Amino acid sequence: MNRTVRSALLAALLCIASPAIAADTINVCVWGTITGPDALVNGMSYGTHDYFTYLNQNKGGIAGFKVNSLLLDGRYKLDEELKIYRRCVDQENAVFINGWSTGAAKALRETVTQDGVPFISETFSSEVVDPVKYPYVFVAGPTYEQQMLVGLRAAKAAGAKKVVLMHGDNEYGRGPVTVVRKSGEIEKMGLELVDAIEFKYDAQDLTAQLLRVKSKKPDVIYIQSSTPQTLVILRDAAKVGLPPTKFIGNMYNISPTIPQQLGAAAEGFRAIQIYADYGADIPAMKEILTFKAKNEVAKQDVYYMKGWLEGKVMAAGIENAIKKNGGKVPADLKAFRKSIRDETEALKNLDVGGITPPLTFANHQGSTQARMAKVKNGHYVSVGSWIDAR
Amino acid sequence: MATLRKLAVPILFLVTMLASLTLGRFGAYLVHSVAIAAIGALGLNLLTGFCGQISFAQGALLGVGAYTAGNLGNAGWGIWAIVGAGVASAMTSLAIGLPALRLRGLYYAIATLAAQFILEYLFKILEPITNGISGLLIQPLKLFGRPVVGDQALAVLSLALLLAAYSFLRWLMKTNVGRAMLIVRENELVAKGMGIDVARTKIWAFVTSGFITGVAGAMIGFTTRLANPEAFQLSLSVDQVAMIIVGGQGTWAGPFLGAAFVVLLPEAIQRTGEAFDIARLLFALRDMAFGLLIILFLLFEPRGLSALLRRLVRWVSSLLPSTRTSVLTVKSHPSPPGDPNE
Amino acid sequence: MTFYLQIVTAGLATGSVYALIALGIVLIYKCSGVVNFAQGGYAMLGAYVTYALTRLGLSPILALVASVAVMAVTGAATEFLLLRRMLKAPVVAVMMVTLGLLILFKAFCLAIWGPDQIAFPQLFPVGSVEMGGILVTYNYIAAAALSLLLSVGFLAFYRYTPMGLMQRCAADNGRAALAIGIHVSNQVSVAWAMSSALAGLGGSLLATLNSLSLGLSSIGLVAFPVIVLGGLNSLMGSLVAGLLLGVLEAVTDGVLTPALETYLRSHTAIYSVGALQQVVPYLLVGLMLMVRPQGIFGERGTERV
Repeated sequence: MNRTVRSALLAALLCIASPAIAADTINVCVWGTITGPDALVNGMSYGTHDYFTYLNQNKGGIAGFKVNSLLLDGRYKLDEELKIYRRCVDQENAVFINGWSTGAAKALRETVTQDGVPFISETFSSEVVDPVKYPYVFVAGPTYEQQMLVGLRAAKAAGAKKVVLMHGDNEYGRGPVTVVRKSGEIEKMGLELVDAIEFKYDAQDLTAQLLRVKSKKPDVIYIQSSTPQTLVILRDAAKVGLPPTKFIGNMYNISPTIPQQLGAAAEGFRAIQIYADYGADIPAMKEILTFKAKNEVAKQDVYYMKGWLEGKVMAAGIENAIKKNGGKVPADLKAFRKSIRDETEALKNLDVGGITPPLTFANHQGSTQARMAKVKNGHYVSVGSWIDAR
Repeated sequence: MATLRKLAVPILFLVTMLASLTLGRFGAYLVHSVAIAAIGALGLNLLTGFCGQISFAQGALLGVGAYTAGNLGNAGWGIWAIVGAGVASAMTSLAIGLPALRLRGLYYAIATLAAQFILEYLFKILEPITNGISGLLIQPLKLFGRPVVGDQALAVLSLALLLAAYSFLRWLMKTNVGRAMLIVRENELVAKGMGIDVARTKIWAFVTSGFITGVAGAMIGFTTRLANPEAFQLSLSVDQVAMIIVGGQGTWAGPFLGAAFVVLLPEAIQRTGEAFDIARLLFALRDMAFGLLIILFLLFEPRGLSALLRRLVRWVSSLLPSTRTSVLTVKSHPSPPGDPNE
Repeated sequence: MTFYLQIVTAGLATGSVYALIALGIVLIYKCSGVVNFAQGGYAMLGAYVTYALTRLGLSPILALVASVAVMAVTGAATEFLLLRRMLKAPVVAVMMVTLGLLILFKAFCLAIWGPDQIAFPQLFPVGSVEMGGILVTYNYIAAAALSLLLSVGFLAFYRYTPMGLMQRCAADNGRAALAIGIHVSNQVSVAWAMSSALAGLGGSLLATLNSLSLGLSSIGLVAFPVIVLGGLNSLMGSLVAGLLLGVLEAVTDGVLTPALETYLRSHTAIYSVGALQQVVPYLLVGLMLMVRPQGIFGERGTERV
């Protein structure tokens, strides 16, 4: 016993002492909110990290090279995320970085470009998507604004006239709502915006706000908030007698927690679907089940699917860059990073195992398609077909 | 010997500055994070440690500094943006302190708590100044017409400002105003009896502490390059208070040690976790260690890390045969007249 | 008219829980002069313990009772292990210790139950009745009724029982209490136990309303305006101020904010005043501290600690 402990300690010490970077490995960095206010959706980070483990275990890595993926906790704190970014670029020599918050993506968008590091973020903010100004920044789906318009278009098609927007008082909540409101897109659609209501992003009771909503008699209420507050909204809506069928949330509200916790008060609630749900009958799910046979899957939800997809995009970019270099990992880190960026941007009709339709990354966001999902008998079912959000 | 003592602190700073030039970006980032946090802690220590007023509005005051510096810097003020930030925070600190002049201890703490929340709200609402929730993007600080962007350069600048703040406070505590603060901390009635104008002394403390905090806030702005409301919440105030407690309230080494400790602890725990491949387990342990250490220090060593350091130095020097004093002793054994440790 | 009735009903329901949490803080302050920043932490811990016990197979009500008992022990233990050693420490240091406790409790719950929101077991039957044109669920009725009942019960306990008398005595003048043979330290332990039990109950009630998460601990911050408005040393004050603040928040959300925004939207370029509700209590606190620091029901002289 004692000897085991001692040798384990010795081994650990040796691990620390020896330089971590072995030749011919590919370093990538993933950071998310492992602990923090929006940890509910951190399946996104686990999904990406797990995909690289899957590649190592089943495909011999990328193009024959092991992937060294590091998962870190940004705690949804800007200074922590900026620190992690520097570690990834400077110490871990990551060739592709997967980051988290809208704030960090905005603070880093110019730095990333100067450093020349391919960077994919969990945000959908339109302020970081610009292939010309920010050539190294990628996201993985339609922007929040595009999601909002898809939702409202679907409501309009069903005969809605009056719209209320509800959002939290953080960047993720207020930003996209302001952009859409000022763009006049809602009026162009032939809808009337009767009110926009901001609430504290971690609000625990919104009865009074929903009474205000009710007094405006809207046909549709679009929610731009995280799942915990969507729960509060739907719960208090039931209290004041607003049916869940009037509410639409974005892709972050497609969480199974909503029907699980609310039961009848969630029946008919709609949310934007961008990615196939966990457990869908698609090729990517078979990969995940293969992975699950040997490892633990931390979060079994749609966000994990998003993470898995991002892993596929990153891996495809890296693989093509290696192919271009004659099957070898380029010795020059800077050139490798640049090449990965170019190859990611050049991805055309990339098959992502059915999580979304095939992806083309010239626009730096891949899919711009979304469709509606509706809670029926406690589960989300897709309604209608894919709509292009542009 | 005496000249060595006087020179020890500047030499220590110079060495750190030179060392941070050789560090990588990550290392330099840690250096300026600690240095900036230490400037803020020095400001808070003046108010809490030397004048006895606990404040939970430190996070918001740092925010005022960052927003002011951002706006002034973007308007081309250069280095004066930092001064402007100091002035703005000093005014805010005074605005919080003036109405609270007759409140003591607990009630002052609650008043600052209220100020923290009100300022947080203003950051979100005053869109023309703060750019609301999406945050103010800040251009790099321009020194002599050249932008300071690299983490190494920012580290050197932060250290220089830290040295300036420290030297200024050392000087201030030797003046009559500084001594008056110490007496006010101990007992307001006694201070009055001695003919000290308590209100004026407190106002000095609010203004000075606010100015130094504003400088720290400005540097937060110029290093993160984005000032948004989510970065200046109550948790930042709590971090700052924790720094001076863990470091040692009312001591000179306290803010330095406390800032280093609070900023580096999460990183240390993270790296330890990775080395033993239990990082996921340790994610929660980080906060646990933080809370536990605050409690343990207050319970068993209210003078914090600086007292521990002093004991360590004494122990080490007792092992050494000669009378040679190490540089560390000098740093941890400052005894100017009016020093609260005396 | 119904609209205003609805707003007030909603406000009273949340306000009653505020009162319960604030009551616990005042209880401790009266007895020992300590302001407990960790009250929200105890509330959160109590809710998680209730949840854990139901997972072990206890019926929800039984789990609630057991959790209240566990929290009472936790509270007494806190006093015995930490606060008793800090009798001579400055107020500020004691305040920071409770802040450290809050951080510790949150980290503890994070380590065991994870960061995600958890569905809380149903303590009360599912369903609702219409009150003043608003559907009030049994959850809300039960939480509000229980909070009010307990608050009133505590006031009575404090006033009419021998134990309450000893508590008041210890709070009023520790030395005099000692002289007539009251064990003051033990009285403080009892106050901590009662306060934590209240917090645990309040937390569990809150979790039935809002589901279970680490965010529950922020209720402790909401309680601060309540105790300042009501008066730090007045149990009655915290009850009244709790209800008042609940209603005030609802009125801000439902009436004041929309009116203000309608005006601003038609006359200025400002579109939204944001989450005004979160700052109104603190504006009131600022005002109160300037005008009458001892609070509505507080006695003079307490502002000088």
